[in-house]
Amino acid sequence: MDLTFTPEQDAFRAEVRAWLADNVPAEPLPSMDTEEGFELHRQWERRLAEARLSVVSWPQEYGGRAAGLIDWLIFEEEYWASGAPGRVSQNGIFLLAPTLMAYGTEEQKARHLARMARADDVWAQAWSEPESGSDLASLRATARPDGDGWRLNGQKTWSSRAVYADWCFGLFRTDPESERHRGLTYFMLPLESEGVTVRPIAQLDGEAGFAEIFFDDVYVPGDGVLGELGQGWKVAMATTSSERGLTLRSPGRFVATAGRLLELAKESGDQTLRDAAVQAWSDAEAYRLYTFQAATRLEDGIELGADSSLMKVFWSELDLRMHELALELLGPRGPVAGRWLDGFLFALAGPIYAGTNEIQRNIIAERVLGLPR
Amino acid sequence: MKFSFTEDQRLLAETVREVLEKACPPEAVRAATRDERPGPAWRALAEVGLFGAHIAEEHGGLGLTPLDTVLAYEQTGWFAAPGPIVETAVAAPRVVAVGQLPELATGSLIVSARPAADPYLPDADLATLLVAGSALAPADGIALTPHGSVDAARRLFTAELDAAPDDPVAFDQAALATAAQLVGLGRRLREQAVGYAGQRRQFGKVIGSFQALKHQLADVAIALEFAAPLVYRAAYSLAHEAPAASRDVSAAKNAASGAAHRAARTALQVHGAIGYTDELDLQLWLNRVWALRSAWGDDGFHRARLRDALL
Repeated sequence: MDLTFTPEQDAFRAEVRAWLADNVPAEPLPSMDTEEGFELHRQWERRLAEARLSVVSWPQEYGGRAAGLIDWLIFEEEYWASGAPGRVSQNGIFLLAPTLMAYGTEEQKARHLARMARADDVWAQAWSEPESGSDLASLRATARPDGDGWRLNGQKTWSSRAVYADWCFGLFRTDPESERHRGLTYFMLPLESEGVTVRPIAQLDGEAGFAEIFFDDVYVPGDGVLGELGQGWKVAMATTSSERGLTLRSPGRFVATAGRLLELAKESGDQTLRDAAVQAWSDAEAYRLYTFQAATRLEDGIELGADSSLMKVFWSELDLRMHELALELLGPRGPVAGRWLDGFLFALAGPIYAGTNEIQRNIIAERVLGLPR
Repeated sequence: MKFSFTEDQRLLAETVREVLEKACPPEAVRAATRDERPGPAWRALAEVGLFGAHIAEEHGGLGLTPLDTVLAYEQTGWFAAPGPIVETAVAAPRVVAVGQLPELATGSLIVSARPAADPYLPDADLATLLVAGSALAPADGIALTPHGSVDAARRLFTAELDAAPDDPVAFDQAALATAAQLVGLGRRLREQAVGYAGQRRQFGKVIGSFQALKHQLADVAIALEFAAPLVYRAAYSLAHEAPAASRDVSAAKNAASGAAHRAARTALQVHGAIGYTDELDLQLWLNRVWALRSAWGDDGFHRARLRDALL
C-alpha cells in the first residue's frame, strides 16, 4: 500500500490547481438548466478543453491526456475543491464515451469524441420511458429498418439537459417480437432530426432540467447504431463494471462538500449537528479510499463487478445527508437561494437517477451477496 | 497510489485463517464461555508468531507494522478467537520491560491491558501481567473483582491498580486491531445471515428472496465495504507514523463499530427467534461485537477525538 502520489502526479495536481485558480468564474454560473446558463456552461467546457482538461483520461487524439485513473481522481479532487461549475457535458463524457470507446467504429469515435470533449455537441440520454423507469427492460420505443437506416418511434422521458442539448443516445427495440433485454439496439442521433420533439419538464426547482423526447418516424442512418444490432442492453451495461462504474461520481466532489460542511459546523454550537458533520467527513473519506481501492483493482486488471451499485447507494445518500445537514446548520438561512439550497435540490435526485437506490440494493443483494431473485 | 496489500500481508492473514479454521471453530469459542480459556486458538496464533508480530526481531519477534497485521486481525475477529489477543500482542509490546519481550513474543506471557480511562481488564484471570494505561503490575497478589460481561468468552475484571497515562501509540494500535476484528466479525455475521436467508423458507419461498431482507442485508454490505478502507488507511497511517494517525484510527474504529453493530442487528433480525437463543452459534459473534464496540475507546471517545481534529 502506498497512499502517496508520484512527483509527476503532484506536478499535474499543481498545474490543475493553478489553472483552476486562474480560470474558475468568481461568481457561480447561472443554472445550466436555463438557456443562458447552458451556453455559459458550454463555453466553460470549451475553456477546459483548450487547456486539455475536459477529458484528461481520454486518448490524446480525442482531446485528452491519456491520464491514468489516479490522475483522473486527482483532477476531480482539484476540480470540485475549486468550486468550478458543474459539467454540462457529463452524460456524454461519462456515460456515452466509455461505451463509444469500447463498441464504436473508428469513424464513430472520430466523429463524436473530439466534439464531445469540446462541448461542440452536448449529449442527452434517452433511456427511461413513461412506463419504463426502474424497469428499463420493458421499454417500448421502436426502431424499424428503412433502407440503410432506421425509423424511430416512441417516447423517452426524464432526459437530463435534452432541452438545450445537441444529440441523444438511448435504447430502442429493433426486434418487434422481442421481450425484455433482448432485441434492443443502442442508437445515437441528433436532436435536430426531423420528427424529434423535445418538451421541457420543469423540475422541483422550477427549471427545465429534463425533458420528454417524442420520436415520430425519425430517420437515423445506419451508422447511428452503436455496437451490434439487438445487443443494445449488453452494450449499455457492459462498461458499468469497468471505469464507468467509478466515474459516475468521483469522490472529489463529496470530499469538497464535506470540507465546506465542516466550515459551517465550526460556527455551530449544536453538538448533534457538529457530530453529524464529522461523521459526514468520515463517510466522504471512506468513499475516497474505497475509490482508490477500486482504482487499484482496475489497474491490476480486476473487474469491479457490482461495486458500482455499492458506490451509487453510498455517494447518493451521503450527498443528500450532507446537504440536509448544511441546511440545518444554516437554520433560517437554509431555505434561502444559494449554493447549499441548489446542492440540496440536486442531491435529492441522487437516490433516483442512474438506477434508483432500491434497484441498486436489489443488485447488491443478488450479485454481491448471492441472494435469490 | 496503490491501495492494496502485499503478498506477504495477505499470506499472514491467510495463515491465521487456516490455523483458526482448525483451532477456533464455534465449539472452541463456546468452550471459552465455559472457562476453557484461552484455548487452542491462542496456541495456534502463538505458533504462527502473531504474538511476536509487533516485537522487534532482536527480541524474538517479527518486527511487523500495523499495516502488515491488519488483515490478520480481521481474521481473529472472523473466528471470534478468545483470549486477550489485542492486549497481549498489540498493546503490551510497547509498555512491558524489554527483558519480557521474548516471553511475550512466544505467547507464553499473557497480558490483560486496559486504557487508562476504562476500568475493566478483559480476561485478567488468565493474565500474568496487568497493564492499566502505561502502568504495569504482575497479576500475582492483585485481587480481581469479576463483573458480568455481555461476552462470556471475554470476562471482565476490575483490580486495585493505579493507571498511568496511556502510551498513545499502544492505544492507537490496539484500537486499530480492535477495529479490524470488528470488520472481521461483521463479515462473519453477514455470511451467516446471508446463508440463513438463502435456506430458511416461509410462505413457500426462501426468505432471502424478500426485498425487505435483501435491502437490510445490502445495507450491511455497504456499511462493511466502506468501513474496511478506513481501517486499512488507519493501519497505513500508523505504520508510517503519519501526523493524522490518531484521527484516522478514530474514524476507523467508529466506522468498524457501526458497521459491525449493523451486521449484528441485521443478522439477528434475519434469523428471527432462533437467533435469539444461546443454542445457535450466532450469539458468539453477536456478543463479541457488543463487547468490542467499547474496547480501546468507545464510539463517544473516538467521536470526540474526531471533533477535536476536525472542528
